[in-house]
Amino acid sequence: MNARVLHASRWILIAVAVVVSLFPFVWMVRTSLAPAADVASGRFWLSSFDFGNFARAWTKADLGQSVATGIIVTLSIVLLQLVTCVPAAYVLAKVPFRGRNVALGVVLGCLLVPTQVTLIPLFIGVNLAGLADSLPGLVVPFMTSAFGIFLLRQQMMSIPDGLLEAARTDGLGHFQTLRRVVVPMAGPGIAAFSVFSVFTHWNDYMWPLLIARSPSTITPPLALAIFQQGDTGFDYPALAAGAVIVTAPVVILFLVAQRRFVQGMSGAEIPG
Amino acid sequence: MTATETELSAPPRAAAPSLGEPPVRTVRRRNRGRSPLVPILFLLPAGLCITVFVVAPAVLSLIGSFFSIPLAGGSWGFVGFANFSRVLTDPTVQQAIGNTVFYSVITIIPSLVIGLGLALLAESVTRGRALIRTALFLPLTANLVAMAVVFDYIFAFQGGVVNQLLGIVGVGSVNWLGDTSTSLVTVALVGVWRAASFAMMIFFAGFATVPGTINEAARAEGIRGFAKLTRLTLPIMKPTVVFASVVTILGSVQVFDTINVMTEGGPQGSSETILTETWKLGFSYYDLGSASALSFLLLVVLVGIGLLQRRVLAGSAR
Repeated sequence: MNARVLHASRWILIAVAVVVSLFPFVWMVRTSLAPAADVASGRFWLSSFDFGNFARAWTKADLGQSVATGIIVTLSIVLLQLVTCVPAAYVLAKVPFRGRNVALGVVLGCLLVPTQVTLIPLFIGVNLAGLADSLPGLVVPFMTSAFGIFLLRQQMMSIPDGLLEAARTDGLGHFQTLRRVVVPMAGPGIAAFSVFSVFTHWNDYMWPLLIARSPSTITPPLALAIFQQGDTGFDYPALAAGAVIVTAPVVILFLVAQRRFVQGMSGAEIPG
Repeated sequence: MTATETELSAPPRAAAPSLGEPPVRTVRRRNRGRSPLVPILFLLPAGLCITVFVVAPAVLSLIGSFFSIPLAGGSWGFVGFANFSRVLTDPTVQQAIGNTVFYSVITIIPSLVIGLGLALLAESVTRGRALIRTALFLPLTANLVAMAVVFDYIFAFQGGVVNQLLGIVGVGSVNWLGDTSTSLVTVALVGVWRAASFAMMIFFAGFATVPGTINEAARAEGIRGFAKLTRLTLPIMKPTVVFASVVTILGSVQVFDTINVMTEGGPQGSSETILTETWKLGFSYYDLGSASALSFLLLVVLVGIGLLQRRVLAGSAR
């Protein structure tokens, strides 16, 4: 009897948690399909579906252009971060040299410095470099990631030294060792970090808000925010449709990569 | 094969502590076919980027907080602590600091408690666990601007679903985002919705680090439920708990996106926070010196939290 009550209450709690967790997503999709009349009359269940909301959001918020910009910017950042972070993480994890602890300390210290604190000097610097309102201006400040170096180093630490020794005996240089041994073995961590980085930079709002001005540099979240603050008034269905368009890519990516992402991120704990 | 591997891996490890003056033989062997320049080349891109885009700006931010900075370029004027005293005596900034503290207090504890509870719940069921986990992780991926737009509608004064539901139970409509007494709490609800999901993921990953033998021993000793959680699981997962706390605290102190979209700090500054205020100082009033000072004060708080975390963890190691 007691066990059954416990069992039932557990499932009720889970149900409540899932509903609260999913409700905003459900409501977003529901509203994105709502005919204007239903929203105006405050109807709970929709009388019909209106896909025109998506067309309105797409054209009025200029989402086609901004989605293209978002894809270019996000992929450029992720690629550059992998190019800079993977070799650095390898050296910090597996190649002893003088000053390695200092280098590691700098990386850990940078984890504590949020973008926001560096925002003003970065803004001035990007302006002086003539990169304001340009695609490079959106990408360049994020070319490397202290978090990425840290996460990948944690993963590479677990590669057995013997394996690297064997690679060296076979005459592989650092570069070949990295390419043929380290990268394949650190695959889950690299995948997890890439997904994390896509989330972060696709969703980033603050930096584009600061430097993007013209249609060709505006990223999807910024386009949505401008659409909301513009003269659209209370066109909730179109806003919700825009929100769906901005949200869908990351949610789909998460659903596909979920297992690897969660496993790969578990190494992210800062060691004591 | 295995023996060779162990033999080969031994010398460099043994030689590592005496790097200052290593035996010649070891050096030759370590560098066979490998340039010592390569590690430097591997570190260089990341090192340069970190120096230019993180370290230098952070230092400049500190220096800049002692100057008045013209936005258009030109020379900086040294003003001593004037920026600091200006921001700290400005009633708007004081309100923003107070709001940030209030927002943090009402989001941090609920997010951690709910996150831990959700992780325990999801862990305790066998049927449909993957599905439940996915559903509970989803807020973590959400684009905050898109979600802010959605929550803006959910909490809308007229036609918002929350007020409609309240109407059914006979409670009058609340102007959630438009009233000075509720605006910050409403944005904080969105913060908890998201942060709890993040905390849950961290706790969930942390459970995997608890050795299975511990669970068996606890079962044999008859330690279950709340006692097991507080006396066994959480102490073992201390690094996870500290990490989850730090992530949640940092996220709360730096809240920006949701506020900027849902309330723009209003009404009457009632939901202004340190970051939105820094933003206004710097990029609406072009007072970059004061904005630097405020952002530097924020950095001091964040580094303090980081150091505290290391202390707590170092304490647990002993």
